[in-house]
Amino acid sequence: MTQVTLSGLTKIFDEKSPPAVDQLDLEIESGKLTALLGPSGCGKTTTMKMIAGLLRPTSGDISFDGDSILSIPPEDRGAVMVFQNYLLFPYMTIAENIGFGLKMRKVDRKEIRTRVTDMLDLVQLPGFEDRKPRQLSGGQQQRIALARALIVQPNVLLLDEPLSNLDAHLRDEMRELIRRIQTEMGITTVFVTHDQEEAVVLADRIALLFDGRLQQFDVPDAFFESPQSVEIAKFFGGTNFIPGHYEGGEITTSIGRFRAPRSAVDGGDAVLSIRPEAVTLGAAGGNSVMGRIRSHVYVGRYARFRVTLGDIEVEAVTDPGQVKMFNDGDEVPVTFDSNKIWVIGPAAAHE
Amino acid sequence: MAVRTRRLTGTGLSEKAARRLTITVLLAPAILVILLLFMGGLVTGFLRSLGYFPLIGLNDFNFDAYSIIFTDNGFIRSFILTFHIAFTSTLIASILAVASAMLLRPAFRGKRFVQFIFSLNLTIPHLVGAVGVLYLFSGSGLVSRLATGAGLIDSPAGFPAMVNDPWAIGIIIQYVWKEIPFIGVIVLAILLSVGEDYESVARSLGANRWQAFRNVTLPLIMPGVVSASVIVFAFTFGAFEIPWLLGSTFPKALPVLAFESYTDVDLAARPQAMAMAMVIAVMSSLMILAYMKVSRRYVRS
Ligand SMILES: Nc1ncnc2c1ncn2[C@@H]1O[C@H](COP(=O)(O)OP(=O)(O)O)[C@@H](O)[C@H]1O
Ligand SMILES: [Mg+2]
Repeated sequence: MTQVTLSGLTKIFDEKSPPAVDQLDLEIESGKLTALLGPSGCGKTTTMKMIAGLLRPTSGDISFDGDSILSIPPEDRGAVMVFQNYLLFPYMTIAENIGFGLKMRKVDRKEIRTRVTDMLDLVQLPGFEDRKPRQLSGGQQQRIALARALIVQPNVLLLDEPLSNLDAHLRDEMRELIRRIQTEMGITTVFVTHDQEEAVVLADRIALLFDGRLQQFDVPDAFFESPQSVEIAKFFGGTNFIPGHYEGGEITTSIGRFRAPRSAVDGGDAVLSIRPEAVTLGAAGGNSVMGRIRSHVYVGRYARFRVTLGDIEVEAVTDPGQVKMFNDGDEVPVTFDSNKIWVIGPAAAHE
Repeated sequence: MAVRTRRLTGTGLSEKAARRLTITVLLAPAILVILLLFMGGLVTGFLRSLGYFPLIGLNDFNFDAYSIIFTDNGFIRSFILTFHIAFTSTLIASILAVASAMLLRPAFRGKRFVQFIFSLNLTIPHLVGAVGVLYLFSGSGLVSRLATGAGLIDSPAGFPAMVNDPWAIGIIIQYVWKEIPFIGVIVLAILLSVGEDYESVARSLGANRWQAFRNVTLPLIMPGVVSASVIVFAFTFGAFEIPWLLGSTFPKALPVLAFESYTDVDLAARPQAMAMAMVIAVMSSLMILAYMKVSRRYVRS
């Protein structure tokens, strides 16, 4: 299998606007599923096209297993890209679409036919050989596009937003299919998404991009437990932030001082971050302050409280039973689990 | 699925139908005039080709004119020549138009410039182009003189006949020059609207540049190329002035032959002229029909 290395990869479309991809360094592990995550327009598709050889980088390098592939044309890279909008060739049948890559390699017709049939079985659309793309639903077209890529046995599979054009239930199905095929075939796979949940569920590692720059490259849980900046934590959502000053394993804020052994910074101005699940109500102890319940919602599997602590408001997600224990306006002790507190550097100046 | 509501007007007609009716009524006078002139001309021409011309005492219907022209070696050769002119110039113009559109597409920053060049060419009348071809490619023309000057040929007389020649090279040059931008503009527009993503997919799946063009781009632009070139074919098949100026004396292109028979002092030749005109009209109509059929098939698939 193939390890893909991006070093200082940069793409500038237009001198007047900032780079679409800016000095990107990334080690994409062989045989793993890596997500390129980021908001729309952050350079995900551009990065994929450069890996596939469909766009020439302005500067930087791309190598497969240590060898630069910049001078190799797309058809010889062994990296196949599946586009977001499927792009099945409209005038070809499904069988011709899937067999396209083999036909280009001058594979014997009979062999193409049997391998197309195998692929249709793999993507669970047997018997679709003679249909035309326009007769298929979006989800089916997506699976055909996947089959068309897999039939050439790529070393690197690049999936551009494979799930974003699908309905919710189709999305789950497709997600299963991608995961299953990827594990079975062990292809180094990069998939693009703007949905953090999708990245977390599917990927072995996530590369988070903002404005063409790599923010964090990590395993999924790290983005919740130890995001490297406030922006990253905000992108993953739900976290409480309290500004303060960090020193000697303690962070001092306007509502009190908290023990916080885990941090991304050594000291100085910092932000205490804590996820709502790590905020408990009722029991006083270390790392506790008094707060007042402002509002609550009962969601069924859990309850969500908004609590004011001095000039700050935090969210707590608790056991649903706690709804009966507290009323809006009650004064309650609020405890931050010190092992769940994560101290981040202050938000960037432009925030 | 969007639910489309259809509002009904007081007359019980849908808005769309009502609008269509209004347009038809407004256009009716113009359509009538065109129908009278065009269809009238066609019907009269057809009747006369059948030998019906009461003014000069011909009152019977017969196919004499057709059997005369179809057994006349001169007519057959004219027909072949005309087909050769239309087919060859359309084919060459289409290939060059596709090639230039492909070359122009990536650098489409210079859009304005290209449009200028193309529109410049489109606005020059065929006749002016023909004079240009005469000036450049005739035996005493510029190219011939330059070739003589450069020592490529001994004298202008040694220059190969490209104007008024039996192979109709001069005519074809003029048509190709004139039609490349016409087809090219259409192809370029299609190329830009289709985008480059399909080719990217093909390249990514293992097609080299040529394979991607041959298997993906060409089928995608083919309907446009076919419709543009059929129009060009029908036009070049029926056009008179260029073969009249640049054509050989024998065989003559069909439209020239038809015109000359028509203006012949012998009124008896008129039915034959009309029969020829009918052949031209039928050929052109067949082309248009073929065009509609082919393009519809492409649109459907
Ligand atoms: N062909 C192009 N020409 C000019 N700018 C482009 C082109 N393709 C993408 N861009 C710009 O580059 C940036 C990144 O685009 P893209 O990689 O498509 O983002 P994403 O896939 O993350 O949504 C955007 O600002 C986009 O406008
Ligand atoms: Mg994109």
